[in-house]
Amino acid sequence: MFDVNEFILKKAKELGFGDVVVLGYETDRRQVRFANNEITIAKHWNYKKAQIFVEYEKRLAATELTNFDEKTIEETLKVLLSSVKSMKPKEDYYGIAEGPFKYKDIPETFDKRIVELDEPNVYVEQAINAALEEGAKRVAGVLYTDHNRVYLTTSNDVEGFDEGTGIEISVRAFVDDVASGHGTSSSRVLDKFDPEFAGRKAGEIAKMVQNPIEGEPGKYDIIFDPLAFANILSYMSWMASVFAVEAGFSFLAGKIGQKIANEDIVLKDVGNMPNGYGTRKFDEEGVPTKETTIIEKGVLKTYLLNTSYARKYKTETTANAGLMMPRAWNMYLEPGDYSKEELFQEVRKGIYITNVWYTRFQNYVTGDFSTIPRDGAFLIENGEITKPIRNIRVSDNMQKIFENIVALGKEIYQIHWWEVDTPAFTPYVLIKDVGITKATK
Amino acid sequence: MHELVEFAVEKAQELGAKYAEARLEERKGIQIAMKNGIPEGLGIETDKGIGIRVLINGGLGFASTNVLTKESVFKAVERAVKLAKASSKVRNKPIEFSEEMFHEVYYEVKMKKDFRDYSAEEKMEYLKLIEENVLSSGINVPMRFLMYRDWITRKYFVNNEGAKVESVIPRVVTAYNLVVFEEGQIEQAPFVSYGFTGGLEKIEEIKPWEKALEDVRVLQKLIKEGQKPPEGHVDVVIGPEVAGIAVHESVGHPYEADRIMGREAAQAGESFIKPEMLGERIGSEVVTVVEDPTIPNSYGFYLYDDEGVKARPRYLIKDGIINEFLINREYAYYLGIHSNASARAINYDREPIVRMANTYLAPGDYTFEELIEDIKLGVYIRNFNEWNIDDRRYQQRYIGREAYLIENGEIKHPVKRPILEITTPGLWKSVDAVGKDLDFYTGNCGKGEPMQGVPVWMGGPHARLRDIVLRR
Repeated sequence: MFDVNEFILKKAKELGFGDVVVLGYETDRRQVRFANNEITIAKHWNYKKAQIFVEYEKRLAATELTNFDEKTIEETLKVLLSSVKSMKPKEDYYGIAEGPFKYKDIPETFDKRIVELDEPNVYVEQAINAALEEGAKRVAGVLYTDHNRVYLTTSNDVEGFDEGTGIEISVRAFVDDVASGHGTSSSRVLDKFDPEFAGRKAGEIAKMVQNPIEGEPGKYDIIFDPLAFANILSYMSWMASVFAVEAGFSFLAGKIGQKIANEDIVLKDVGNMPNGYGTRKFDEEGVPTKETTIIEKGVLKTYLLNTSYARKYKTETTANAGLMMPRAWNMYLEPGDYSKEELFQEVRKGIYITNVWYTRFQNYVTGDFSTIPRDGAFLIENGEITKPIRNIRVSDNMQKIFENIVALGKEIYQIHWWEVDTPAFTPYVLIKDVGITKATK
Repeated sequence: MHELVEFAVEKAQELGAKYAEARLEERKGIQIAMKNGIPEGLGIETDKGIGIRVLINGGLGFASTNVLTKESVFKAVERAVKLAKASSKVRNKPIEFSEEMFHEVYYEVKMKKDFRDYSAEEKMEYLKLIEENVLSSGINVPMRFLMYRDWITRKYFVNNEGAKVESVIPRVVTAYNLVVFEEGQIEQAPFVSYGFTGGLEKIEEIKPWEKALEDVRVLQKLIKEGQKPPEGHVDVVIGPEVAGIAVHESVGHPYEADRIMGREAAQAGESFIKPEMLGERIGSEVVTVVEDPTIPNSYGFYLYDDEGVKARPRYLIKDGIINEFLINREYAYYLGIHSNASARAINYDREPIVRMANTYLAPGDYTFEELIEDIKLGVYIRNFNEWNIDDRRYQQRYIGREAYLIENGEIKHPVKRPILEITTPGLWKSVDAVGKDLDFYTGNCGKGEPMQGVPVWMGGPHARLRDIVLRR
């Protein structure tokens, strides 16, 4: 697609645009959805697209092209120019990165065997069977295979190519209507993909939910399963973007240099993580992706930035372009030194939450929110799981959640599924004094 | 382009499809954002492609492409067929579709003020009006994110059972997030949206700039005068916006047949409602909930769904009784009934699944004054910020943004963050009176995998709930 990119760039410059970025995508994505132990639909998507970002005297515009004949390209650019010319400038725009850059291959991001995989249904059956073997009666979920090619060309002497693959599965197992468990496996290479693990975990948790009792409101020490905490980290990834901070969607506003988490907490965005589902060689302006520490020893160090925002705040880009909106690639919460068993032994009276969904905020800037446990939730008494519970809600504050983390597991899990957009690498997390509420009628 | 759609259906049948449909969608639009007074830039949306869905041996396959050549479309057909055949091998029971009446029809929504005739800067004026109104209020609003979007969707749907449905639907929406900071306190009106099918005239009728001014004034008043909501058992009056979210979350969603049958189990979840609950009481006699895609200029508007079935109003709850589910052809066949045209897809690259359109609590005959006149101690929750519900749609919560104490039949001072946390039967059985007003609010309903955010309206009148314990 570089020929298309070059043509777009050339025509854009001829028309008088300043900064120009063209991102070409070739995508092949397959999906197999299943429910009640059978496949409900299988899908295949094939896309060829070029995303175009242009700047004209600090006025910004973006579009996406799916038709690459010369006439369409020229007409599209003319529409962009006439639209953008009439607008007022974005006074706080400070340009895109200067190339050229050298890009390193990132381990475990491409596997030819995934491209050549003819029939992925066998993995679906493995996951379903693993859950059924654990005692589940009904299994639902989704499997994806991905093959992506990205072609980047910018007006600042950047040219980059990245090719990646991925395979992932999300499995939810049911013993009855209210007894369910969830497991996932995401990998960029086939060898590290483990559909059986996902199915087994879903089945195991579902089986543990026998005759759940109503949960009671109060303050509890909570162990978040990696699946559950990944949801919180996914929201954190959005709130760490400087765009969210400026737009009033983040509790991190005005808190750089302040302590916002327990002093043991180190939270990173790692764009070049081997085997990360969000990993890419370069960001959307071509800066090589890297590791960025967002929270170091409990202190907020930086927001996620692109070049323009970095210049605005007189610092360096964190390689998180998004040209209009900086974005995280893979969230990484550094592990602690507790085994899972040791973590449970820390809890006198608490709750183990295996999954959450529907996280919503009353106030983004203060961070007040709630999220709803789904799948197994269990009372912990004196270090042991004693009873499954149901119908509870986590009602708390984001900063308080991070401040009250008291212990972290030593193993890290990659989580990426329907409820977790930004892939998150997280251990089991123990948080003290978390608010739990339930319906009053 | 029409011939490409018909070509796809023809080829699918040649390759063995018992059922085949193809949907071409072309979308053109513009999106403009302004953050803290500065234009962020504009996005021009141009998207076009075709999606093909086939049923073979009881297995369902779907493929899409945006490369609109015969060769590429044929390849997509082959893929859909191959996937359907492979899927059929991992089924215990074949998928079948209900029999329906199909039509050859064209319809479009007319714009009085066609947004294609106006420049980006002219549309930016709407956002500037919001900005100016908020800034001139004298209230400290340090974070302001404003958004405008319009798009027109041209769609052509064909199946091998006689449906040929072409539609042209323009939509327009504005949204804002406003953060008020006064006296060391922060209050927020996030994601306040006004969306319609139609042209710019709809935005000019609703005047979001006036709503924004009202919102920041309310937030300031809340900071300055807001008190804690009362403890113990009280009566609650909910406004149309709260009634809307409540019917959407706890009636619309759990009545979606695909959730009831477990198809969405691993994503949006299942439902506490079961097929055998039709005819059971779920709410008081004054509760009727309607789902109607055909409301003119509504954000969720359509006349034929994405399986080609003609739309009609659906009465989900009638006089407190569970009356009807939202259903597509697959589950209509399963239950031995007809589809009620609930299948929607957001674009050519998504399968149609069971969705809401415009859901509302049907009005009763009370004025607002009559609703509150006999309340000794209560809370009026006019609108909300935080909301969520469990994945069986049984336990929900809505936290008020603008809310007031009701004392001896009168509205008093604002109350901060009253929390209505309640089960679905608990909610609908507590309603003892419903207002005669009716208002709708804009939403983007999320469901499906990959996610399909569809435009919806949700609404209702004011309604009174007796004997509620609010959290605070």
